[in-house]
Amino acid sequence: MLELRFFEIYRDADFMWRLAEGVWLSVSLTVTAAVAGFLVAMGLAVVRNARVPVLALLSTCYVEFIRNTPLIVQLFFVAFGLPLLLGYSWPFWGHALLGLALNFSAYFAEILRSGLMAIPKGQIEAAEALGLRRHVRFIKIVAPQVIASVYPSLTSQFIFLFLTTGVISEIGVEDLTHAGVFIDSRTFRSFEVFITLTLLYVAIALTFKACLLAMDRYFFAWKVRQ
Amino acid sequence: MSDLLVMLFGKPMGIMLFQLLSATQYTIYLSAIAFAGGGLIGGLVTLARISGQKHLRRFASGYIWCFQSVPLLMLLFLSGLGVPRLMGQDVDPWISAMASLTIYASAYLAEVWRGAIQSIPSGQWEAGRALGMRFFAILRAIILPQALRVALAPTVGFSVQIIKGTSLAYIIGFQDLMNIGRRWANAPVDGTEPFIVFPLMALIYFALCFPLSRFALYLEHRLGTIGKTPPAATA
Repeated sequence: MLELRFFEIYRDADFMWRLAEGVWLSVSLTVTAAVAGFLVAMGLAVVRNARVPVLALLSTCYVEFIRNTPLIVQLFFVAFGLPLLLGYSWPFWGHALLGLALNFSAYFAEILRSGLMAIPKGQIEAAEALGLRRHVRFIKIVAPQVIASVYPSLTSQFIFLFLTTGVISEIGVEDLTHAGVFIDSRTFRSFEVFITLTLLYVAIALTFKACLLAMDRYFFAWKVRQ
Repeated sequence: MSDLLVMLFGKPMGIMLFQLLSATQYTIYLSAIAFAGGGLIGGLVTLARISGQKHLRRFASGYIWCFQSVPLLMLLFLSGLGVPRLMGQDVDPWISAMASLTIYASAYLAEVWRGAIQSIPSGQWEAGRALGMRFFAILRAIILPQALRVALAPTVGFSVQIIKGTSLAYIIGFQDLMNIGRRWANAPVDGTEPFIVFPLMALIYFALCFPLSRFALYLEHRLGTIGKTPPAATA
């Protein structure tokens, strides 16, 4: 009764292949969604920080709504509601990508906004005094400092969000969780399967962390660190 | 209430709304239990984390690290499918959902509270010791009153995380708002299409979470504790 039979998972080539594909899909979808989400978040944060009349309010509502509803409900709406409403059909991963990117963008926007608010006024005034144009000021002076200062928060938020992405299996994406559920349905070794999955998720999260830390050292080498 | 909703919104819509709202109570119960249980265990882990004993400290750090790294979904799968199959015994979805959410909450709350307690300057501890006070006396009379200020806002903020986390419990068959809503969305009834049901559910979750988020923000401003703890639970 109380015996662990991990070998039932790893002796089967098909299962291992599914797990590998699942890892790949989970990682690639999360990274793509994070990059897209980050770009959207930049827009949201800037609009909100600059107090553009209507857009700022809209962006606040959007961010608050996403942050205060569960990811799974958002994904279900994006995957099953929107296509029915607007009459399009995408592959499953397309829905997942859109849903995750929307979700990530709200969390990133909140972090970026706090970074924008914290930037010293003197920096902008100095840039103005040098006669730099608005967009140059933003790209050369403001954005690098903001991103550098909130980078650690973005990293931990990204890792946290990555750990929630298993729910995309619920809308049919064959990600890591999906592979696990499949193997579980074939072998009934639920405990072993989900322990394996957990270890894989933790391993991926640690890898992400290491990569992001290395990127921090590389891109923001000029940053003053404690 | 059922009759009233049917009267106001008509046949499928009124019944659906009633079922969604009555399922919401289980979401609230589960969140409350997870918060209370997580607070209890999290408190013990926090104590172990700041205690004088090296092994206890190590164990607490390990606990926090471990359960902050494990996805909630995996905790649910393990407690709802894994452990029952391993033991060859059925476990009620209530128990599994409670157990996983409690563990999840305890790790995050312990991290928040550890941050709050360690944000108090060590001179406060030393002063207490100089007065001849013991560990618990210092903690109760000097440290906790100060740490509470710092910990309050992120603790309230984390309750939002717990409510959102309960939405995953339907995966192991827990009957909450998510479960009922999904069933309505799949039902071939006019007026309960996915693009109506899911936004409605989102609104209900929003109505639960948003006031808490606002309250956390208010506390942050009121107590002047912005950015004092590491943002362990800001998501």
